[in-house]
Amino acid sequence: MSTVDAPAPPRTTTVVPAVAPWWRRSAPWVLLAAGTLGGIALQTQLYTAQERVVGTVFMFVALATAWNLIGGFTGYPWFGQVGFFGLGAYVTALCMYHLHLSFWLSLVLSGLVAGLFAAFVGVPLLRLKGHYFAIATLGVAEGLREVVLNLPRATGGGGGLTIPTLGPDAPTRWLGNDGFYILFLLIAAAVVAVALAVSRSRAGYALRAVNQDEEAAAAMGINTTRTKTLAFTLAATLTGVVGSAQAFRIQAIYPDPSFDTSITELAVIMVMIGGAGTVLGPILGAIAVQYMSEWLRENYTNAHTFILGALIIVTVVLLPQGFVNYLGDAVKTRRFSLLDNVRRYRL
Amino acid sequence: MTQFVQATLYGLLQGGLLALVAVGFSLVWGVMNVVNLAHGAFVLGGAYVALELHDALGLDPFVSMVPAAAVLFALGYLIQRYLVNLVVNAPIFITLILTFGLEMVLENLLRVWFTPDYQSIPTGYAQDSLRLPGDIRIPYGKLIAALLAVAVTVALVYFMRRTRTGLSILATGMDRGAARLMGVKARHVYALTFGIAAAMAGAAGAAEGAVRTFSPADARSFTLFSFVVAVLGGLGNMWGALYGGLVLGVVMSWGSQLLSGTMVNAVAFALLVVLLAVRPQGIAGKAFYASRVEV
Repeated sequence: MSTVDAPAPPRTTTVVPAVAPWWRRSAPWVLLAAGTLGGIALQTQLYTAQERVVGTVFMFVALATAWNLIGGFTGYPWFGQVGFFGLGAYVTALCMYHLHLSFWLSLVLSGLVAGLFAAFVGVPLLRLKGHYFAIATLGVAEGLREVVLNLPRATGGGGGLTIPTLGPDAPTRWLGNDGFYILFLLIAAAVVAVALAVSRSRAGYALRAVNQDEEAAAAMGINTTRTKTLAFTLAATLTGVVGSAQAFRIQAIYPDPSFDTSITELAVIMVMIGGAGTVLGPILGAIAVQYMSEWLRENYTNAHTFILGALIIVTVVLLPQGFVNYLGDAVKTRRFSLLDNVRRYRL
Repeated sequence: MTQFVQATLYGLLQGGLLALVAVGFSLVWGVMNVVNLAHGAFVLGGAYVALELHDALGLDPFVSMVPAAAVLFALGYLIQRYLVNLVVNAPIFITLILTFGLEMVLENLLRVWFTPDYQSIPTGYAQDSLRLPGDIRIPYGKLIAALLAVAVTVALVYFMRRTRTGLSILATGMDRGAARLMGVKARHVYALTFGIAAAMAGAAGAAEGAVRTFSPADARSFTLFSFVVAVLGGLGNMWGALYGGLVLGVVMSWGSQLLSGTMVNAVAFALLVVLLAVRPQGIAGKAFYASRVEV
């Protein structure tokens, strides 16, 4: 006889985790495989000089994608990427020149050394933020170059080292233009595959959380130091592998070109123009910037850095968030105006 | 002993000039949170203005510090007002890349106009030395350059602290929103800050032109040294830029006595990385996030 109604039984709703359908989840992988096969197919249409140019594009796809792991996902301005590139190049050169190890073993060793070094310096460096991280990593890269330059007995100093690639002394024969095209294509594909795996994983979301608000991420239970160091180590390992392959391709390596800051700068620009924190962005950015740079160098030899610089300025003003991020936002909000885009960040 | 004193004096003179090279870089960074990678190109711009004035009118490079500063001020003001202000609120990468693009453009222009060759501005006295007891020599050129550089840096500090314009720049650097509410025109103040920084770079460039050879390829190393000095001294801290410049100059000068080749640069960078890890606010400054601009 109670006047109070019994509480309504709780409605049972089964919570379905939001998982994208299988074809959407596997689409990036299918695209990656298709892109790799397309790269192999493209090779048949190229002559030697073009092969070299496209091989360099693949190299920058790999470098930009590796940079994106720490610079794009985590938002740490890593201005010392070339340090690990040069480290990989010199580890390979030293292994092949002094120890007569095969290139493939040297390639693995280069990645390992670069990764270990990154893990070692990463712990103190990743405590720094913003511009301080940028200059400290730049300092590590410059410091490495000076060390290589000043150990002439091992590294040949400024005179450089020439990896033996022909004759009985050569631990591994030079791969030829065709071989290096395929090698760089496979390295680029592997690095992109790593980025794809990271992007969808728990670690990838942790990295993005660190980017948005590091303290909040730590409060949510993310071990930020470990996450950042892992990403940094991974990015450095991949960069070291790319440096190793490049060293074997050019054979004669010198400290200045191996530790050239403009390699880092190009990678940063490619990621920023393509779209930081996405997998597709760095790939598109690398292809666009490297192709543009090559084309300008050929057609406007004297003014090519002028035009490239001006293009970078215009792109950065019009698309500060990068092409892929702009397109994503624009499609979602149906606002395609570039002027709105400029208004967002101006004073 | 003589060698040690000589190296120290050289380092101090070099450091005084480095302070003027870097002070504008530090100012822009501290006030606007913009790392200006084109700073080195501005320094070279000043050097080439002095070179042109010397060739055309026979003007002494130290006198040319004034017109060089004026030209660079105008350039800097326009660049900030109509270009950098467009993206000044974007993440730091964006301004970094923008100024990187700017550096490419400026360096290419310098190379086309003035050729990539190394050039110098000859003066009648810069190579002569002042002899001190104990066989210590100080070249007049380096002495004048360092003294002028320190004087200009100190003058800038007083300008920032004592004038209305300087105070409005500092206020904008501390809290832009509050400064705008007080009637400060932030766009103009930012452009003015960038202009002043470029003017300092131009004056430094003219002085550098008197004591060393230069080519457009030096832009990078000027930017890098500015970076190191600004970090050593603490951002936006103009006294800090002076200390940072002097410390860097002396350390590099000692290092080149003790170490072979260019190993001294490795030591300088190692020092920088260790310093950053231990004391990110610089050797002279307070923590920069507590009060971003310490003048």
